[in-house]
Amino acid sequence: MSQSTDTPLIQVTNLSIDFWSHHHWTNVVRSVSFEVHAGEAMGLVGESGCGKTTTAYTLLGYRRPNSRIREGQVFYRGQDLLRLSGKALQGIRGRHISLVSQNPTTALSPGLTIEAQIIEVLRAHNLGTSANEQSARTLELLQQVQLPDPERTAKKYPHQLSGGQQQRAVIAMALACKPDFLVLDEPTTGLDVTTQSQILDLLAQLRAEQHMAMVYVTHDLGVISLICDRVGVMYAGELVETAPTRELFTHPRHPYTRGLITSIPSVRKPRREKANLLRGYLQRDQFPDGCRFAPRCDFAQERCFMEPQSLELVSGNHMAACWRWGDIKLPTVADASVNDEQLTSLVGGSLLNVENISCAYDIDRSILFARRKPQTVVQDVSFDIHPSETFALVGESGSGKSTIARTIAGLMQPSAGIITFEGHNIIPLVKARTQEQRREIQLIFQNPDASLNPRQPVGQIIGQPLRIFFDLTGTAQRERVEQLLQDVRLDGSYRNRYPDELSGGERQRVAIARALAAQPKLLLCDEILSALDVSVQANVLELLRGLQAKHHFAYLFISHDLAVVRTLAHRVGVLYKGQLCETGQVEEVFAAPYHPYTHMLFSAVPSLDSQTKSTSVVRGDIHDSHKHTACPFAERCPWKVGDICDEVEPPWQPTSPTHGLRCHIPLSELQTREVWTEHPS
Amino acid sequence: MVLAFVTLLIVSAFIFWTTEVLPGDIAARVLGRESTQEARAAFRESRGLNRPALERYVSWLAGAVRGDFGSSLVNDRPISDVVLPRMNNTITLAIYAFAIYVPLTFLLSILAALYHDRLPDTIVSVFNLIGLSMPEFVIGTLLIYVFSVSLGIFPVMAQIQRAKTFSDVIRNTTLPAMTLAIVMAVYSIRMLRDSLIEVLDSEYVRMCVLKGLPRTRIILFHALPNAIVPALNTMALNLAYLIGGVVVVEQVFAFQGLGTLLVDSVAVRDSPTIEAVALIVSAIYIAANLFADVMAITLNPRLRRG
Amino acid sequence: MSTPASVATLPWPKKAILNWSRLPFTLRFGTIILSFYLLIALTASLWAPYDAAKTGTGRPFSSPSSDHLLGTDQLGRDIFSRVVLGADDVLFLALTSTLVSTIVGGVMGLMSGLLGGWIDQIIMRFFDAVISIPFLVLALLMIAAAGPDLSGNYWLLILAVVVVYAPRTARMARAVAVDLVTRDFVTVARARGESVLSIVWRELTPNAIGVLLVEFGVRAGYAPIFIGSLSFLGFGVRPPTPEWGLMISENRAAIISAPMSVLAPAAALAVLVIGLNLLTDGLSRVFGRTNKI
Repeated sequence: MSQSTDTPLIQVTNLSIDFWSHHHWTNVVRSVSFEVHAGEAMGLVGESGCGKTTTAYTLLGYRRPNSRIREGQVFYRGQDLLRLSGKALQGIRGRHISLVSQNPTTALSPGLTIEAQIIEVLRAHNLGTSANEQSARTLELLQQVQLPDPERTAKKYPHQLSGGQQQRAVIAMALACKPDFLVLDEPTTGLDVTTQSQILDLLAQLRAEQHMAMVYVTHDLGVISLICDRVGVMYAGELVETAPTRELFTHPRHPYTRGLITSIPSVRKPRREKANLLRGYLQRDQFPDGCRFAPRCDFAQERCFMEPQSLELVSGNHMAACWRWGDIKLPTVADASVNDEQLTSLVGGSLLNVENISCAYDIDRSILFARRKPQTVVQDVSFDIHPSETFALVGESGSGKSTIARTIAGLMQPSAGIITFEGHNIIPLVKARTQEQRREIQLIFQNPDASLNPRQPVGQIIGQPLRIFFDLTGTAQRERVEQLLQDVRLDGSYRNRYPDELSGGERQRVAIARALAAQPKLLLCDEILSALDVSVQANVLELLRGLQAKHHFAYLFISHDLAVVRTLAHRVGVLYKGQLCETGQVEEVFAAPYHPYTHMLFSAVPSLDSQTKSTSVVRGDIHDSHKHTACPFAERCPWKVGDICDEVEPPWQPTSPTHGLRCHIPLSELQTREVWTEHPS
Repeated sequence: MVLAFVTLLIVSAFIFWTTEVLPGDIAARVLGRESTQEARAAFRESRGLNRPALERYVSWLAGAVRGDFGSSLVNDRPISDVVLPRMNNTITLAIYAFAIYVPLTFLLSILAALYHDRLPDTIVSVFNLIGLSMPEFVIGTLLIYVFSVSLGIFPVMAQIQRAKTFSDVIRNTTLPAMTLAIVMAVYSIRMLRDSLIEVLDSEYVRMCVLKGLPRTRIILFHALPNAIVPALNTMALNLAYLIGGVVVVEQVFAFQGLGTLLVDSVAVRDSPTIEAVALIVSAIYIAANLFADVMAITLNPRLRRG
Repeated sequence: MSTPASVATLPWPKKAILNWSRLPFTLRFGTIILSFYLLIALTASLWAPYDAAKTGTGRPFSSPSSDHLLGTDQLGRDIFSRVVLGADDVLFLALTSTLVSTIVGGVMGLMSGLLGGWIDQIIMRFFDAVISIPFLVLALLMIAAAGPDLSGNYWLLILAVVVVYAPRTARMARAVAVDLVTRDFVTVARARGESVLSIVWRELTPNAIGVLLVEFGVRAGYAPIFIGSLSFLGFGVRPPTPEWGLMISENRAAIISAPMSVLAPAAALAVLVIGLNLLTDGLSRVFGRTNKI
């Protein structure tokens, strides 16, 4: 991208912001300075609570009501947005600087149609005089963001659109007045990978067409690599490193950036060795006077704790806020010496066997209204899990992954099929199972906020299964609780804390400890990493693998994140609309021949390795198609053969004793369709 | 709709049961404890009280549907003759009160929400708290004290039955209507204010601000319609309160409405009249709730089907 | 009808409850007011200058003096004594009735929400019906049903309040229960095979108690007005009990000649209700939820 040398479009200087909470000001952004030139895309990356979103909002001259700008300026074309009058800001917002916010569902006004919401922006900024002109512009915008059937979509209310479509509508709204600067706040978080990939394509395309400058806020370095020219890494309210995107990924200088990069699991290459992960987690009041990263840093010296660091020029336009950047060796990206602990027990009998289960939900259970047809969410799914094995189920939201876990846990009655556990047919519902069966299968949920009772201290939460399954009480129970806490690398004193006194990662560890307390043979993990930050995620991943090595239990690991699955799983099943379309050893599934859907999922995953992306093959949206087709993927399939896909159920084609996929396309042909090769590092 | 009718049916059964079945021997109560067995028996005979309760309920309900509530135990007049003019009076009062209440609620809650945690909000909150702490009969009495006794603008007694012209009606109903409006507003201002503050804090309102929309547009087109929905139920509840709970206010102003009729009937234990009033009032409440649901659906497209 | 969304997301106040100075201002102020009233209610009989029912302690409608701090009423009774002695009855009636209805309504609502199915449907249909009878009308129905012999009986009044309040509280509690049973921690408990009672006790009750406490406060704040209104209409406590609503009703005509006879009980009532409302507001702040009636 062209970098103009004249005055930057946006210039942030020395910005510090405080939040008012618990009766005092807490600093959330400290001395942040950066600039964005016309047409340039800058990424702001960091973990939750690092101040990236707060910083981004000030680029629109906005601050939250309970915050204050302690110092600093935000210049847009020479005017300080933080000191402009409300009227003047009103003229700039939406006109010259637009926002695409994180959650389109809450960002769109629920009571107005898409058209009305776009037109009001045009009207507020006096663009398009007549109603006709405004409608025409609206349609043009909706076309531009590639919304299907713009005329009808324009008349729809936000809730009638899927998440991806809503985000497109928000983007259309942001583009309405042809702004020259766009602020994007995690615009694809919360969307499925395939949808995310489509939105990213759209943004890249729009940027090329309209030559807008952007600030793209995200926690996902992979996304940054696809869309941004330059990246700023934020940690604890400070900008710790800025560099051109490639430079940052290949030569990170700040220890935090390094840790962040190594934390990211890659879908492209398996990484099973213990990585150089970020450790620890700091509360705001634990920051030292000097570098805020010092307590977590492997390179920290006494001086780091005393003196605050400021951005220093490393080379060209690469800056890092670490005075030791020169001493720090570049990360030695471990060569692919995969110490793959090959499964030895595969030959043995399976622990869990799921045979042809189908599940359906009753939609309406009211007694006054007629029952509607139950909706089938899982159809004819079979797989097995061996002892000490990790079997992963992958799929987008709505694919039926969680339903399968709930069924195995006995919380739902399958409408058909058999589940056997250790050779015994287990009764579908939990009430009827034996105590032993209940103990041996444990569940961990995605969101530890919801799965831990907020009114119980950690000791009681973990103590509960001990009491029920092992009759442990009193001191014996307490000792065991402390031991379990140590197993998940938490201090024994956490016993007395309540869940809301813990960080997200700590809460998830407690949830894991609770499951371990039962000494299970099978752990059902339902998206247990997706609510966590990357670095925390990496640590929990390590923990999960360590625990498995120690206790030899099996995981049913449910995730939408292919990279995580690749890191952890031994075998994988790919689920689409409640049907398994491919299963096999992880290396088999992650290599050709692919099922078309698996292929689409892979190509949708952004990765640090891929500088430019092949044109996306992603089409449609899992929620869009409601037509019943013999192959559930037929409508979105880029390789669709023809009517046969709609009408004839595709055959199951085994490629090896462990791998198979369900498709009409011959394996020999699928074998040739490969999009990416593994990068030698 | 179906639900509303089911509810109304249960209500009617409940009312009938409490007034007719629960108290035991109605004859003894009407004729007094000293009445003879023969007189009581004759009374029961003439009133059809010897029939089983269920049969009596069905015939009562059938009558009620046609507007025939039977006749008063006290003076034998058909109840509908007594109730209808009272109902008219109360409805007049209710409409007037609502006309004061709605703008008052909207103005004050928007004001409070806009200046959240600042002076106007505090003033509104304090007034609200004071209003909340005072029963209707105190507010009514104070209003009489100020407007009738000290200023002499309005009459002490709201004698609507004597009012001939429209201005007479206004003169006679302003004070009770004001009392009702204040009491209702106190509850809904708090509700609407909280709801507005929540909506004003929402992401889509922030998005509107960041789209550069004018403030008035944001409030009128984005915040208010969404804030009203949760507040609507309180408003419907208020309407019911207004129709039924006017009892106290009518008593304060000696207003000839349904409320005073109910109080008088309870005092003389005229059960058919009590039943009639209670049933009418409950029906109005249920209708108001239905109306609120319909309003919520029109305001909130998410609740629409399809 | 809308149900309060996600009512159970309240953080547990924990140690905050022990730290007086960090509690919300409204909670502290409300607590002070309520304690003050409780103190008066418990001790007034020891120091009130006159007996509440004693007539002719002075000239009827005399203005405040050193003998009669707030003057006298139409029967020459001492208003000050009647107001302070009334605290006892007012507090007893309001708090007892609200407590009973919160417990009855809370238990029924939680059970109904947990059990679900047709039992839930029947209970809730019936409660909905009771709720749709405006509360004063409902109370008058109860009083009419009870007959003249029981008129003014405290337990009848309490029963009337319970019949009015309990269904409303039950609906609230049910919404909480319905929200809670879908939570993952309840799912975890169910997957462990715990009994329904154990789930109610260990998982639900600690989460529902905050909401019920706030609900109790809201109702308690209105109870004195409710009971006062009944007295005002002549169906509450019977003269010469020094109940504030009744006192206002008795002296209303004399508001010009002896304003204190009306204003004093009105103020006593108002401050009590303000105190209870502040307390509730504070409680709901502690439980992290804005107060909605």
